[in-house]
Amino acid sequence: MKEILNQEKSIYIQIAEMIENDILRDVIMEEERVPSTNELAKLYTINPATAAKGINLLVDNGILYKKRGVGMFVSSGAKAAIRESRKAEFYDKYIKSLLQEAEGLGIDKAELIRMIEKEDK
Amino acid sequence: MSLTINQVSKVYGKKVALNQLSLELEDGKIYGLIGRNGAGKTTLLSIASAQNAATDGEVLLDGKKVWENDEALKDICFSREIATTATDSRNTSKVCEYLRIASILYPNWNAELADELITEFGLDRKMRMNKLSKGMQSMVTIIVALASGARFTFLDEPVTGLDVVAREYFYKVLLDEYAKGERTFVISTHIIEEAANVFEEVIFIHEGKVLLKEETDSLLERTVHISGKEEDVDAVCDGKKVHHVEKLGRSKGVTVLLNPGEEPDAKGRDVDIRPLSLQDVFVALCGKEESYE
Repeated sequence: MKEILNQEKSIYIQIAEMIENDILRDVIMEEERVPSTNELAKLYTINPATAAKGINLLVDNGILYKKRGVGMFVSSGAKAAIRESRKAEFYDKYIKSLLQEAEGLGIDKAELIRMIEKEDK
Repeated sequence: MSLTINQVSKVYGKKVALNQLSLELEDGKIYGLIGRNGAGKTTLLSIASAQNAATDGEVLLDGKKVWENDEALKDICFSREIATTATDSRNTSKVCEYLRIASILYPNWNAELADELITEFGLDRKMRMNKLSKGMQSMVTIIVALASGARFTFLDEPVTGLDVVAREYFYKVLLDEYAKGERTFVISTHIIEEAANVFEEVIFIHEGKVLLKEETDSLLERTVHISGKEEDVDAVCDGKKVHHVEKLGRSKGVTVLLNPGEEPDAKGRDVDIRPLSLQDVFVALCGKEESYE
């Protein structure tokens, strides 16, 4: 769970992404309890309201669900759902910026493809 | 419960320290109070805790004036920097005696927490007040504030002189204490970055007035730094109020406060749009000759 927070994104989004990463890496399994907002607040030295905002984001996306009086749990199927939504983001987040930078440097598509294939071997 | 500061002014001789300042502090929040030296932070906290009389205006706790109101003052703790009179060479009282006085002043005093903090900080309770280093003085003020159990607790520069390990420890204990219940903390600090994530809301004080009071998250979300070629930056910022303009050759960098919910629009121009840290936002708004609307 312990990654380092940075300034590039809102803290609550980083908290949500870290929980997602933990689910993808089987650090937290489906149907397991995730840390409480107070536990997260203390671990990262952040305001509990911010931690709660991150958790709620995942609840809204169906990744987590609330068990009354017990805490927040990972929904079954969460891992696959996170993968799907990350794939959807992949183009905007990586491919677009890759192409932009390549264009600025004058790298054409053929050269780009050669580079990717080189990485493959 | 809420603490209302209503049109408070404070004048020292010719110097206006607070200028008709109004502020509402809600229950159960951690506020960051940020301002430059001389902005009025300490004056504000001392008047809000009735340690200092306002020249004009009033402070109300749940609608009742706090001035000379013993009941209300049990719920308000301002653990200010230990006065030079307390650390004067003639003051040979011990740390434990100083804390005992605090425990009498605050009916909800948490002796267990005070003991825990003394041990964790490695403070010698038999040490005399006039022998404390700057960092140790901060430890004592932190202990008084956290152990006071007061509903509204103000800390003025609590981490001055503390090493980074002690500062980190302080923020963790603060969050622990905050998680327990309904306490509200107002913390002034010049070391903004390490405390930024702890503040649910920030209050910028500038020249005796509240410049801004907003949720830290939303303030950071709507503040962006735009940089690039001057004409591109100007085109993107057209019609917007810009702060903290920096120019170098053909390049220009500005800070822009967007309206809540507004997305930065690069309008097809080749500019860099980046988020800022709370410290950068503060410098942009309260730095030299900048005005804020």
